Amino acid sequence: MKPFDYKFQTFEPIKSFRSAPREEIYVPGHRTCAGCGPALNYRLVAKAAGRDTIFVGPTGCMYVANSSYLCTPYAVAWIHAQITNGGAVASGIEAAYKVMAREGKYDGPFPNIIVMAGDGGSVDIGLQAMSALMYRGHKVLFICYDNESYANTGIQTSPTTPYGAATTFTPPGKAIPEGKTLFPKDPPQLVIGGHPAVKYVSTTSIAYPLDLMNKVRKALSYPGPTFMHMFTPCPKGWQFDESLTVEIGKLAVDTGMWTLYEWEDGAYRYQHLPKKYKPVGEYMKLQGRFAHLKEEHIAKMQAFVDQKIAHVKATAIPVEAVPPMAVKKKKK
Amino acid sequence: MSKKLPGYGTITVPQEREVPFGAITPAPVRQQDLFVTSNWRMVRPVIDQETCTRCLTCYIVCPDACWSYNEEEDQMEWNWKFCKGCQICIHQCPVECLSPIPELDFEDGVHRLEKPF
Amino acid sequence: MPQERNLTGCSAAAQAAKLAEVEVICSYPIRPYTAIMMELAKMVANGELKAEFVHGEGEHAQLSVVLGASAAGARAYTGSAGVGVTYAFELYSPIAGGRYPVQMAIADRTLDPPGDFGSEHTDAMSFRDQGWLMGWACSPQEVFDNTLMGFRIGEDPRVMLPQAICQDGYFLSHIPDKVIVADPAQVKEFLPPYKAPHSLSPTCPVSHGPQIRPDQGAPMDAQRAATFLEVPKVIEEATADFNRIFGRNYDPFLEKYRLEDAEIAFFIQGAHANTCRKAVDAMRKSGVKAGMARLRWLRPWPTHEIAVALAHVKAVGSIETSTSYGGAMRGGNLIHELRASLYDLEERPVVTSFMAGLGGETIWPEDFHFMAKVLTKMAKDKRADQYVRWLGFEAD
Repeated sequence: MKPFDYKFQTFEPIKSFRSAPREEIYVPGHRTCAGCGPALNYRLVAKAAGRDTIFVGPTGCMYVANSSYLCTPYAVAWIHAQITNGGAVASGIEAAYKVMAREGKYDGPFPNIIVMAGDGGSVDIGLQAMSALMYRGHKVLFICYDNESYANTGIQTSPTTPYGAATTFTPPGKAIPEGKTLFPKDPPQLVIGGHPAVKYVSTTSIAYPLDLMNKVRKALSYPGPTFMHMFTPCPKGWQFDESLTVEIGKLAVDTGMWTLYEWEDGAYRYQHLPKKYKPVGEYMKLQGRFAHLKEEHIAKMQAFVDQKIAHVKATAIPVEAVPPMAVKKKKK
Repeated sequence: MSKKLPGYGTITVPQEREVPFGAITPAPVRQQDLFVTSNWRMVRPVIDQETCTRCLTCYIVCPDACWSYNEEEDQMEWNWKFCKGCQICIHQCPVECLSPIPELDFEDGVHRLEKPF
Repeated sequence: MPQERNLTGCSAAAQAAKLAEVEVICSYPIRPYTAIMMELAKMVANGELKAEFVHGEGEHAQLSVVLGASAAGARAYTGSAGVGVTYAFELYSPIAGGRYPVQMAIADRTLDPPGDFGSEHTDAMSFRDQGWLMGWACSPQEVFDNTLMGFRIGEDPRVMLPQAICQDGYFLSHIPDKVIVADPAQVKEFLPPYKAPHSLSPTCPVSHGPQIRPDQGAPMDAQRAATFLEVPKVIEEATADFNRIFGRNYDPFLEKYRLEDAEIAFFIQGAHANTCRKAVDAMRKSGVKAGMARLRWLRPWPTHEIAVALAHVKAVGSIETSTSYGGAMRGGNLIHELRASLYDLEERPVVTSFMAGLGGETIWPEDFHFMAKVLTKMAKDKRADQYVRWLGFEAD
């Protein structure tokens, strides 16, 4: 079989808010909560990807809340997948386009195929399908939008829920004061190194929209599978005022709870590394899901984050990917 | 014999209850009018066009894409039909030119829908 | 030119899939259907079949991959057996309700526990109500033929439903028999290319499967059910076309063997029908007016055809190679719908069922002769003494 040399789409980097494509692909008119982080994330991803895109939507908030009822906010092709099989359905779509392109049944640009899976649909119930997609080398971008819970079913714990977070399956109580006792999985690390066909993995936060959109475009320009772990705060699940969604997205980076990086064919590059990390308490105090924690629990979280920071400091080649968002002036 | 056997009856979906084949719906263009959310908000963001620097931050951070930049008029425009009043734009505006004003203060405030969705 | 070859059921399925020019294949190994995929893999590797051969990570993934491929507009093919069939269960309704006409080849295998490679129909039967077309072949030739007919019927715009093309594991999947492999020109005449009405594409965006309200669920169900009222007509047309083009002689729904003047009849599906025919011939020689009705399509169940075909018969016994634990007859599955089909006849046969061939055991001619004795007595007594007989397990 001759190699698949079908012409793929190419993308220009987005240099400013003004020069970002104005067209909305994730349009207004969806049942997501006011201030929904994943919704904002979806909008930016769709904006960066453009019209020649097919989204795969495993069950979750970005399925149920977006598509209620019998209507969707996607101006491009989209298909629902089970929470279990986002990676597999995307593989089928990609295989179909490969064969149709090869046999001359399709002559348009090879579509971006993007799985928009929640943390559960990526690394819990959806892990098998995600890994198999990465292994088989399909040209698909698999996005894990991380709101750190099974949010759509009413906030239950998932493998990315942080230590100490209250969820309806990890409620704090006399016997279990922290609520959640387990530390989370690290989704990009599950992908990196173990899947030879994957050459690009990156993390983003909605507080850094240009960085986010450019990383999406970079991932989409690869001829094989790519993975992105995207930080998407959830006002309802994390219990913070919905106006703070973007601020929480920034605090996570400032405290080291979330690290922005790219892994490209073996090399790590970091973006927006804080010169001085804020204590995790500053991030956690804004969120009701941590309100029950005592000093000792917060210290445990700080130790966990310190370990991550130490690792980053040891390996970091900081590269400012794009200019940061406009700095907010202090209120008088 | 067969004329005595029962039939299967008819199955016809009345027009007002029709659902599309295979649950496949057309994609929206520009906005999804089947899910209006203007009646969610308690406040609306009001812009001071003088102070506004047209940095487009509000446009970028809105999960519902309710801010757009009108190039000709050189103004930010707000989508009253879908704004949920989350106030992210107000919080993120670097020059604080957006203020939350109660929805009830407006004549056209609190857009009532015939049915929830 | 059509070619006469000696093929197992698995090879026959692969040859038919190749002639149908399937575009996306998703594999996963499980006995006894794996050989279908092994043959297709060779064809793809040699360039004989221009398809994408996707190595699924499990049966659930197989069905997911073909769902995506079909939604994107490609003719998609997969298969499984036994617990693989039940592992994929989550996908059966989404595929049928989404109207993706994929084809799944099932070479039956008894369900665990524990591992048993022998054939039972329970695996495919378990999802018979999910909205797929489903039917059993009784020979490698029929496996070949049903594969082609499945695509033609399933992809018809009036139908647009997935098909489960079933064959007994081992008896058909692994024992070769004469198969006339069609000429590509014949297949081209019979089977038009797959045209998805609203495929996922950048040029004409659509949303497949948004969330619905409960009151929108009922119309969805009603529409799916309404389609099944249309399917029998399409099956009749396609079978007539098939017979004409390929020179076969299938009855669309029921093979009626020496049934016209039968006093007792066997109701059966799958490979054991071959033994049944031989037994019926022997019975006829010794003066017993026996006949056989072999079910070709389990879904849609041919209610009226069965009633009409068996109305004159005095006693009918279904041969059950599947289990329905706790079911009304405490035996198998066919009996329930058989009795339901016959219920409204003015004069109806006496009906019973026989559990045979379970676990993958052979059903011997002697077993059919025993069943014939039971049916003859029931016909004489004008009543059934038992709903079910577990052959070989009755207390003496």
